[in-house]
Amino acid sequence: MKFIEFLKDEFNSYSRKSQIALYVLFAIVALFGIFAIQVLFWGLGYTDMNNNFAWGVWIIGDLGLVALGEGAFFTGFFLYIFRVDKLEPIINSTVLLGWMCYLFTLVLLLFDVGQPLRAWFGFAYPNWGPHLMPISMLTEVFWCLSLYFCILCVELVPIVLKQRLLDRYPVVHAIGHYMHKLMWTMAAAGTFLSFFHQGSLGGGMWGVLYAKAQWFRPHFFFLAVVAATAGGTSFMMLIPWIAGKIMKKEVVPKETFYTLAKISGVMFIFYTSFRIYDIYSMAVKYVPAVDRSFMDLWGGLYGIWMLALELILCFVPITMYLVKKFREQEKTLVTGFIAGVSAILVSKMNVLLHGFSVPNFPWRGFTTYNPTIQEWFVFLGCIAIMTLIYMWFVKYTPLFPHLHHSEHASEGHE
Amino acid sequence: MTTMKRLWGMSIDLDKCTGCGACQISCMQENNMPIFEDDSDIPKRVAFMDLMRVTNDYQGDKKYGEVQIAYVPKMCQQCSGNNPDPKKAVPPCVSVCPAVATDVSDDGVVSQIWSRCIGCRYCQAACPYEARVFNWWKPKYETDFKNSLNPDVSVASRGTVVKCTFCSHIWKRERDKMIAQGITDINQVQYTPACVSACPTGAMKFGDLRDPNSPVYEQKLKNDPRAVRLLHKIDNADPAEQQRRMKIKNYPNPKVYYLTSKQWLRDILSGFQNS
Repeated sequence: MKFIEFLKDEFNSYSRKSQIALYVLFAIVALFGIFAIQVLFWGLGYTDMNNNFAWGVWIIGDLGLVALGEGAFFTGFFLYIFRVDKLEPIINSTVLLGWMCYLFTLVLLLFDVGQPLRAWFGFAYPNWGPHLMPISMLTEVFWCLSLYFCILCVELVPIVLKQRLLDRYPVVHAIGHYMHKLMWTMAAAGTFLSFFHQGSLGGGMWGVLYAKAQWFRPHFFFLAVVAATAGGTSFMMLIPWIAGKIMKKEVVPKETFYTLAKISGVMFIFYTSFRIYDIYSMAVKYVPAVDRSFMDLWGGLYGIWMLALELILCFVPITMYLVKKFREQEKTLVTGFIAGVSAILVSKMNVLLHGFSVPNFPWRGFTTYNPTIQEWFVFLGCIAIMTLIYMWFVKYTPLFPHLHHSEHASEGHE
Repeated sequence: MTTMKRLWGMSIDLDKCTGCGACQISCMQENNMPIFEDDSDIPKRVAFMDLMRVTNDYQGDKKYGEVQIAYVPKMCQQCSGNNPDPKKAVPPCVSVCPAVATDVSDDGVVSQIWSRCIGCRYCQAACPYEARVFNWWKPKYETDFKNSLNPDVSVASRGTVVKCTFCSHIWKRERDKMIAQGITDINQVQYTPACVSACPTGAMKFGDLRDPNSPVYEQKLKNDPRAVRLLHKIDNADPAEQQRRMKIKNYPNPKVYYLTSKQWLRDILSGFQNS
C-alpha cells in the first residue's frame, strides 16, 4: 500500500498539463503491451508487411533511431577527444538519448524478426566471410549494435550514480567520479564501433543488395555515416530544447547550442554534397548498368517529391546553423533542428518506404504500404517509453548540470 | 561422367506451357506448403512457385485482338553471381544472411535451413525475383492434409523464410539409393524436381548445365535465339560490354532459362524496356 501511496504522491507532484501528458503516454504504453503480445504470440501476419514489402515502419524506426542516436557518439567524440568543453552541459542528455535510441532499436528489431527467440543465432552462427570480415551486414549490425549498447550502458552509469540518494555514499560517489574521468576511452571505443554499425544499418544493409537497382551503390555505407553525424547532432539539440520549453528554464546554455549547431551545419554541408554525388552516380552509372532508367525508379505514391523534400530539408539546417544571424535567433535555430532531424528521417523513408514500393517486374506497378494499428502502437509505444525514461532522468538525475548549477547559484548555496 | 559433381539448371519452354498449374500444385504437395483460409492474399501466401500471368497489355495500350498473354512459372532462379566458378558463387541472398541459414553449394542449388532462419527477411529484400516467402502465420494443415505431409521436407515454423531448393531432398534421397547400389553418378532421370515431373506438356526440363547430353546444356541454351533469362538484359550485350559492366557490379546470373519464340515475351521477361 505504501508503494501505491508513493506512486500517487509522485503523480500528484506533476503539474496538471504534465499529468494529462502522462495519461496519454501510459495509455499508449498499455496499448503497446496488448499489441506486442498479439504480434509476438500470433505472428507478423497482423502487420501490413508482405513478401514484396518485407520491412515496414519498425525498420524505418530502427534506421531513424540509430542514425539520430549517433549524435551521442559524435558529440562525445568532440567533447572527450577534441576537448570542446562547451559541449559539457549537453553531454549527459546526449548519452541518455543515445542509450535509449540503441535500446529501442534492439527492441524494435526483436519485434521485426519472425523468430525473436532465435535472435542469439546472430552471435552463435555469425556469417563471417573470408579473413574474418562479416559478409552479412546484419551480422555486423548484431555485433556492433550490442557492443556499442554495452558501452553506452557504461557511459550512462555515472549519470545514474549521481542520483541524490546514491550519491550520498562515498564509494558510489568515487566510482561515479573515476568512471567519468575514464570516459574518453569509452568515447573512443564507441566512435570506432559506431562508425561500423552506423554504416551497416544505415547504408551497408542496402548497398550490398546488388540485384536491386534502387539500392545498389558501393559508397552507400559512407553516406549513412555522414547522414547520422549530421542528423544525430540536430536531434541531440532538439530534445533538450523541447525539455527546456516544457520546464520553462534554460537547461542548456546558448553557447552549447551554437557550438553544436556549427558542427551539425558543417556535417550537413558534407552530407548534402555527398547525397548530390550519390544521386548523380546512380543516375549515370549504377541504375543504367542494370538497364533501367533512374527516373523510372522514382514513380509511385512516394516518388520523386520525397527525394526533392529530402534535399530541400538538407539546405534548411545549413542556412540556419551557419549564418550567425539565424543561429542566434531561437525560432530560426529551432527550424534548423526540426528540418535537420526530418531530413535524415525522410532519407531513411526514401530508402525503405520508396525502395520497397519499386516494382521488380516490368508488368507490375508501384506498391504502397499502410501500417496496421499493431505496427503503429508498437512503434509509438517505444517512443512513449523513451519519453517517460527521459522525464524520469530529468527529474531525478543531474541530466542538465547547467540547470543544477544555476539553481544553486540563484538559491544562494555555495 | 563418373563423379557426382553436377551443376543443376532448368529450362522452361513457355510456348509449350498451357498455364495448367500442375507444377505449382505438385510443388505445394511435395514441399508441405500450408494452406490458409484466404490464399487469395497473394502477397502473404506461402508458395515456392508462382505461376505468373504476363500480358503485353500491362500498360493498357493494346487494342482488341492485339492482346496476348503467357503463363510464366517462376521459382527460385538459383543465382550464382558474376563468377562462373560454382565454388565461388555469390547469389544476392546468401551473403546477406546473418545466421548462415542459407547457402549455395557447388552443384548450384541455393539451399535454406528453415530451423536456422531467424526470420529477419534480409534475403527477401535482396532477391530480385521475389522467390523467397515468409511464414507470416503459423502454417496450418487441415484434417487429412496432415497425413499426406512429405516426411523428407521439414515443416517450417511461423516467422521463417522458405524457398524453392530444386527439391534437393529428392536429390539427396536418390543419391543415397544410388550409392547403396554402388553407382556414384546421378543424372536428371534419377533426380527430377516435383514441378518438372508433373509438367504434362514437357515444357519444363531439368539437368546438368555442363553436360552436353543434358537437355539443359548451358552452351547450347546461351546460343539459342529463343532463350531468355529473367530480368537479365546484360545477356543481350556484347562480351566486351558485359565485361565492362561486371567490373561495376555483380549480376544475379540465374540458372533458369525461359524459351519462347514470342518477341514481346522475350522483351518483357528480359527486363524493363524504358532504359
